Amino acid sequence: MRFFPLELKTRWVKVLKDIWGNKKRSLLVVLSIAVGVAAVGMINTAKQVVERDLYGDFWAGNPASLTIYTSPFQKELAEAVQNLREVETAEARRTVAADIFRSEDHWEDIQLTVLPNFNAPKIDRFVLEEGSANPGGREILLERDTAHSMGLSVGDTVIIKMPDGRTYSLKIAGIVHNVYVIPFSLLNEATGFIRMETLQWMGEKPYYNQIALVVSENKYDRKHVLKVGETIRDRVIEPAGYQTYRIQIPGIGSDPGQHWAHNQIAGFLLILQIMGIMAIVLSGGLIINTVSAIVTQQIRQIGVLRAIGGVRSQLVTMYLVNVLLLSILALFIALPLGQLGALGIARLAASFLNFNLKLFTIPLDVLLLQVGLGLLMPLLAALYPILGGTRISVYEAIYQQGLHSEEKERLVDRLLYKLRNISPPILLSLRNTFRKKTRLAFTLVTLTLAGAMFISVFSTRASLTEQINQISRYVAFDAAIGLSGGVQRPTAIREALRIPGVSVAEGWANSSGVIVHYDGSESKALDIVGLPYNAQTIEPLMLKGRWLRSGDSQAVVVNDDLLETEKELDVGSQIQLKVGDSKRAFTIVGIASKHLSGPRVYMTLEDFGRLTGRQNQVDSIRVKISPSATSSARIQSELAAELEKRFDNAGLSKQKATTQSAIFADFSQPFNIILIVLIIMASILSVVGGLGLTGVMGLNVLERTREIGVLRAIGATNTSVVKVVVVEGIVVGLISWVLGAIVSVPSGWVLAWAVVEAVLQAQVNYRYSGWGLLLWLVLILLIGVFSSLAPARDAARLTVREVLEYE
Amino acid sequence: MTVHKAINEIGLIETAAPSQGESSGKRMIDLRGVYKSYHAPAGPFLALRNIHLAIQPGEFIAVFGKSGAGKSTLVNILSGIDQADSGEIILNGTPIHTLNEDQRSRWRGKNMGIVFQFFQLLPSLNLIENITMAMDLTDSFPLRERKQRALQLLEQVGIAEHALKPPSKISGGQQQRVAIARALASDPPILVADEPTGNLDTKTRDGILEIFSTLAENGKTILVVTHDKEIAACASRIVHLKDGEIVAGQA
Amino acid sequence: MLSNLNDPASSYIKTVNDQKPLIEFINIVKTFKTEAGIFPALRGVNLSIDRGEFVSIMGKSGSGKSTLINMLTGIDRPSQGEIYVAGTPVHQLSESEIAKWRGANLGVVFQFFQLLPTLTLIENIRLPMDFCDIFPRSERTDRAMALLELVGLAREANKTPARLSGGQQQRAAIARALANDPPIIATDEPTGNLDSATASQVIELFEGLVAQGKTIIMVTHDSELAQRASRKISIADGQIV
Repeated sequence: MRFFPLELKTRWVKVLKDIWGNKKRSLLVVLSIAVGVAAVGMINTAKQVVERDLYGDFWAGNPASLTIYTSPFQKELAEAVQNLREVETAEARRTVAADIFRSEDHWEDIQLTVLPNFNAPKIDRFVLEEGSANPGGREILLERDTAHSMGLSVGDTVIIKMPDGRTYSLKIAGIVHNVYVIPFSLLNEATGFIRMETLQWMGEKPYYNQIALVVSENKYDRKHVLKVGETIRDRVIEPAGYQTYRIQIPGIGSDPGQHWAHNQIAGFLLILQIMGIMAIVLSGGLIINTVSAIVTQQIRQIGVLRAIGGVRSQLVTMYLVNVLLLSILALFIALPLGQLGALGIARLAASFLNFNLKLFTIPLDVLLLQVGLGLLMPLLAALYPILGGTRISVYEAIYQQGLHSEEKERLVDRLLYKLRNISPPILLSLRNTFRKKTRLAFTLVTLTLAGAMFISVFSTRASLTEQINQISRYVAFDAAIGLSGGVQRPTAIREALRIPGVSVAEGWANSSGVIVHYDGSESKALDIVGLPYNAQTIEPLMLKGRWLRSGDSQAVVVNDDLLETEKELDVGSQIQLKVGDSKRAFTIVGIASKHLSGPRVYMTLEDFGRLTGRQNQVDSIRVKISPSATSSARIQSELAAELEKRFDNAGLSKQKATTQSAIFADFSQPFNIILIVLIIMASILSVVGGLGLTGVMGLNVLERTREIGVLRAIGATNTSVVKVVVVEGIVVGLISWVLGAIVSVPSGWVLAWAVVEAVLQAQVNYRYSGWGLLLWLVLILLIGVFSSLAPARDAARLTVREVLEYE
Repeated sequence: MTVHKAINEIGLIETAAPSQGESSGKRMIDLRGVYKSYHAPAGPFLALRNIHLAIQPGEFIAVFGKSGAGKSTLVNILSGIDQADSGEIILNGTPIHTLNEDQRSRWRGKNMGIVFQFFQLLPSLNLIENITMAMDLTDSFPLRERKQRALQLLEQVGIAEHALKPPSKISGGQQQRVAIARALASDPPILVADEPTGNLDTKTRDGILEIFSTLAENGKTILVVTHDKEIAACASRIVHLKDGEIVAGQA
Repeated sequence: MLSNLNDPASSYIKTVNDQKPLIEFINIVKTFKTEAGIFPALRGVNLSIDRGEFVSIMGKSGSGKSTLINMLTGIDRPSQGEIYVAGTPVHQLSESEIAKWRGANLGVVFQFFQLLPTLTLIENIRLPMDFCDIFPRSERTDRAMALLELVGLAREANKTPARLSGGQQQRAAIARALANDPPIIATDEPTGNLDSATASQVIELFEGLVAQGKTIIMVTHDSELAQRASRKISIADGQIV
């Protein structure tokens, strides 16, 4: 009593003492509030930090709106482009794909970029971290993520292997931070910058092959930017006698002027945002249940307070203040926890996306949101049980004696009373489950959400696997190697078949071209692939029409990606393809499913030869050991090494071979990170659901103390009492499982759609996860048993006298 | 200590005495034609039939009867905890059958102290706080005086030395004394007790009865429900209930 | 009627020497500890009850009569002394053993009936059979029905307790107490919540059971009802007077 000043009204003393006296339950309420509020704070703060720091870095360096790939040119062309009114800045670039030495027999891909003037780069400017930003001759600048991942620092020497197989040693002049390239740790492609003289020394001709540019207005308007690209092509590049290969907006499907992963980040943040909202909803449910527990337990006290003169508004205020105090406590946990979580996410994102975290300031608006949410949500949630609990008349509140059935009989009760041939102890559990229907509903909502979320995550995984399986149909080889400059088909195939064990070797030819429309306009650049009509390293999934067949002439199969931009095309459509200056007409005979390659056209090697003028030449060799299946990752990489060695020795290719499993590894990695985050979130939700169930079972046992005493008085042993309670927990779990299974069908689709859209920018092939459903069944049964076990033990511990002493 | 006691005595007498003085011949409790039935599955059960009861200020009434005779119902109706089906209940001039639940609470807080069979003290509060709570809810006495008054009431019922203990740390008889002190917190003219000694041994019971007698002498109107003849014998009048009807002691 | 219900399966319960009393209390002392001190509820009670007796225990509130019957049912334990029921030393059983023992040997009837509200009457009566597993599963429903007939409630078998009057609920509670065919019925104020006519019916039911050989111990403060027992015991301040 000394702790409370003399002036404090007794009702507030009671509120404080109730909070302190019920530490476990107060803590449960505090945690319920804190979890939701912290989640919201974490997600929103992380969002702001990522947007500020990543996009801040990004915009600071003048990001390119567009990149135009052309035939070799000198830098004067870029100056001509810059003179256009529509263009703000333009800069020439040269990129070369090469390899960089990592360890004995292990080389990594590296993209070498030549800038015209390292003293004043104009577009996609990088920031110097160490050394010099201006490399001298035989020197290289490395992107910092490349340098850190490979353990290189300024002054070290790196060995570069050019496509022709010759190696050169370059000294690292500086380490730079470039947010415009996909980091090495994500793409497994190193980034380096060298001078044109160095490139020349390395045996390449001194020319540029790309123009990066920033448009003057409407920088974020995709259509406008693409149109500017076409204007440049038609008014500057082609009149000057150069060819335009591709006009491309940088990034993975991002809009111009946006970070390359903008859509992915936005999609991921959206998913987290939805999770945050769910956490708040679950928090609210937990609060409703816990507060009704408090009110129910104190129902006699409420009666007494009213008997000695308290009116309802006084009681409502007392309980609301109780919740408010707990909310304030929760904020003390939730605010720092949210910021800490945000810092964690931001750090993860910063290392993942290679950007710098600036000073970590706490955003005021997010704090206000958290405080508002943290104070209002619990009050609103608590209002319902508080109003309900104080509505009861004084008489009922004080003189509850004997055993009562509390609620009106409903349909479910009538159905339950039709069950006759079940033993009474089980019937008792079953009917007890449905006794407090509102409470049951809240518990079910919590557990159903958790279950639906859990199954959805697994369905997303299953959908991604399905997506990968579908893609695998198009890369159904063990290993493949690119052939520089085209090689005679029989020579290449003969060489590949010499490898022991190889039973299938196919030569494919590739080119880039466009569709010429009737009005003379041209489509976006698309891949044109020539292959044997009976190719065994592709198992196309035909959405419509048929695959290529023997004797096909002027027939093509297109993929679904092409139809996204060329919507009017269908099976039977005539198209005119243009490669370089050569144009030919083709008929579409089939449409194959998407496979993340971008727009693509398949035709027989014969047609390909006629269209491109490259008869019987192939650009890559795809090999397989078994004709019917692909081999293990280990065998594939051994095969790839063998392929590299043989083709190098035969003077056919100095390129690196790839394998099917390496292709998958590249893009399943970001998925795995997202899936891990989602599974963690789903586990948190199921923990919250389990906590909720524990609370409810505890409350049920508390209310039925007298009944449990009666059970013991008529011969129930500890085990029988525990069984009655645990079976109830299991029944609740099973009902929520059924509901969760139903809800997870649409919710899984939404999640899978969001994730696939965010990461792959592709349509989802939704697969419902039966394993997820089963796993959740096991989990929910465990949750049901464990969350009712503690209350059941408490119930069994009650002696009959304690229970009946109020008689 | 003696000063406190003196103040307390004066306080009690001063507030209660006028109602005794000016309302002699007037009725403190007036029940007219009260009926009360309960819904039982086998049909309505008539708990009180046509109750007429008039009680003067300062009377010490024992309502006597067996279990099921309707005496608890009578107390609940009288205190406004439960509502009659028909009839008039006029207490200290207020027709409480016309008030709603909140108004009855308010009225009760100022005008009637209730002592329950099972004490019904708030377990999270210590004894003093249990008493100041009643004053707090009814907003009687200035905030600063409440603790002092609570202590005086505890002294009067003889357990001031336990003032800072929670109810669970004292015996049943002591809890019942606290419950009486709480019933007196807002200095109401009427005190109602339902089987106040039902759970107490003989010695403790006598102590409680003594307190009631003293209070009645000081002008409080007291109504005690009991099935114990010895308790009934201490009262100034015995109202005998049987099967929902008053069979003796009506007026 | 009741003799039909005395199933041989439960006959082992009664394998006791008929010379000895069925129930023996030897010098029972029970004290309750409160923070305020030690309160003696029973101070050395000696009592023997023979098979087939109908014993009423009278006393005022607080006299210790409920404590006494709680000693018999094993709901509470003596601080000192020994209790033998049909030769079983009840004071030595563990809480779990007591639950099992009580289920088979003692039917308890409460003042407030205490039927489980979510179960129908017949299910309420089957419940103790399921807990104690004395009667074969296939016979339980038939036996429960026979017991409901005995107390005159066969027609209400599928109703929930809330749909019955207090007297009917108490009769169902008595049927439940008979579920495992225990030799002893213990009851604390069984008529406390019933009007005098209904109370009388309940006592008649007890008298019928006694005639069939059951032993009944009833706590009451109603002297008229107590008169109808074959033996009256009065208790005051924790001692038999």
